[in-house]
Amino acid sequence: MSSDLYREQLLDHYHNPENFGVLDNADVDIEMDNPTCGDMIHLTARLDSAGRVAEVMFEGQGCVISMASASMFTEHVKGKTVQEIAAMSLTEIEQMMGGVKLSMGRVKCALLPLNAMKQGLKESGGAR
Amino acid sequence: MPLDVAAIRQEFPIFERKIHGKRLVFLDSAASSQKPRTVIGAMMHMYMHGYANVHRGLYTLAEEATAAYEEVRAKIARFINAPDPAEIVNVRNATEGLNLVAYSWGETHIHAGDRIVITELEHHANLVPWQQLAHRKGAELAYIPVNDAGELDLDALPPLLADGRTKVVACSMMSNVLGALPPVKQVAEMAHAAGALMVMDGAQAVPHRPVDVQALGADFMAFSGHKMCGPGVGILWGRYELLEAMPPFLYGGDMIRTVKRDYAKWNDVPYKFEAGTPAIAEVVGLGAAVDFLNAIGMEAIHAHEQEIVAYALARLAELPTVHVLGYSDGEHRAPQERSGVVAFTMDGIHPHDISAILDTEAVCVRAGHHCAQPLHNRFGIPASARASFYIYNDRDDVNALVEALHKVIKTFGR
Repeated sequence: MSSDLYREQLLDHYHNPENFGVLDNADVDIEMDNPTCGDMIHLTARLDSAGRVAEVMFEGQGCVISMASASMFTEHVKGKTVQEIAAMSLTEIEQMMGGVKLSMGRVKCALLPLNAMKQGLKESGGAR
Repeated sequence: MPLDVAAIRQEFPIFERKIHGKRLVFLDSAASSQKPRTVIGAMMHMYMHGYANVHRGLYTLAEEATAAYEEVRAKIARFINAPDPAEIVNVRNATEGLNLVAYSWGETHIHAGDRIVITELEHHANLVPWQQLAHRKGAELAYIPVNDAGELDLDALPPLLADGRTKVVACSMMSNVLGALPPVKQVAEMAHAAGALMVMDGAQAVPHRPVDVQALGADFMAFSGHKMCGPGVGILWGRYELLEAMPPFLYGGDMIRTVKRDYAKWNDVPYKFEAGTPAIAEVVGLGAAVDFLNAIGMEAIHAHEQEIVAYALARLAELPTVHVLGYSDGEHRAPQERSGVVAFTMDGIHPHDISAILDTEAVCVRAGHHCAQPLHNRFGIPASARASFYIYNDRDDVNALVEALHKVIKTFGR
């Protein structure tokens, strides 16, 4: 763990998140929390006719890592299929976040948006 | 006499360690304390020179190991002023001790319609076992509320005791979040007057101040060795007649007197509750920890922590974006005494981020709900950061914390 985890890019996303809010008529609508630290995310997403992610929005509260990850995630997953999202790993999230190396304790924070999306897609039946 | 913190630190090898090239500032002893050489040495000595299983062998080594193991029971009894060493039950930790009471005593004494009273400031270890017991039995679980200053609202207790349905009151002797020291003696008197038992969670109190289970009026009290300079073992103390009347918690070797194909008879207290080979060397290590703490003096330790926490609260008050949970200033009311635990939040900054940035300055604090989720809910926050102090901490550590908090504020630009 080093202070470069708190690099400008991540702090920017934390202070001014992308796609912050809730989508109407969402195909995916899920709340997920990280009970050990109290991070919470509400993720909504719409899929296009081909089953690709068209739009994603999130709201929530949490640490820099979970909120910056969520903000970047909403852009990163646009155009991806359900299968592609299901196959996403921690490495991809770390790359998405500018190549940070997350310590064991912070992995759960960074994965919260991805795990919420995977669970949300599962609950919505994967696609319309 | 003030503690010689520099000399005490010398006894802990961990303080030779540098973190990111910086001096280790360990402020997480409420989670688990560091270990002095005498404790590490006692365990090593046993493994190198005197280890064998206890209560079984008839050879020299086994007899020596048994004597060393049993000697600690007497030492622990003196440490908490228990009347009889047989009342000292070795368990894994305070959590297991409290579960033992909830399962063994609770299964036989709690029935549908009974009430169990706990408090809003309990650690999950003194909450979930009672909650689940209440579920199993169709009993009611009631909470003594906590006010904004972090004190128990004792006015709420008499109505809960009035109808005679309350069979047990369980309360922490020291909050692991608020640092509050609930008036457990008074609670015990009220519980007993209503015919209820009093269970005390001593996990935070026993390492930090003198504890006398008889003077406090406890019926059961559990604590952990690892928070008091010892290794990972725990102790359950209970009044002899209560322990004697209780069924075993775990079954197996050493806890039986005779076993036939269809039935078994139980060993005496406390062995009835110590199924299987115990953590022998760890128990011996706990004995060394008690010697170590006694040499410093529990009164002196308590006074030292009072001094440090007062200094810490004064220094944290310099930071307007830092908010301490519970009582913090003494201006508006006469507080219940406060121990060396300070949980806090910072405006707009998640406790995880606080802890992670403090770590870059080698300052170790805990971030999260500290196994007290209902308490955090009561204060309307998901989590907090927590600094906790022990014998090896001094004002320099507090200063390092405050300096590092300035770095947190700077990182977030607020």
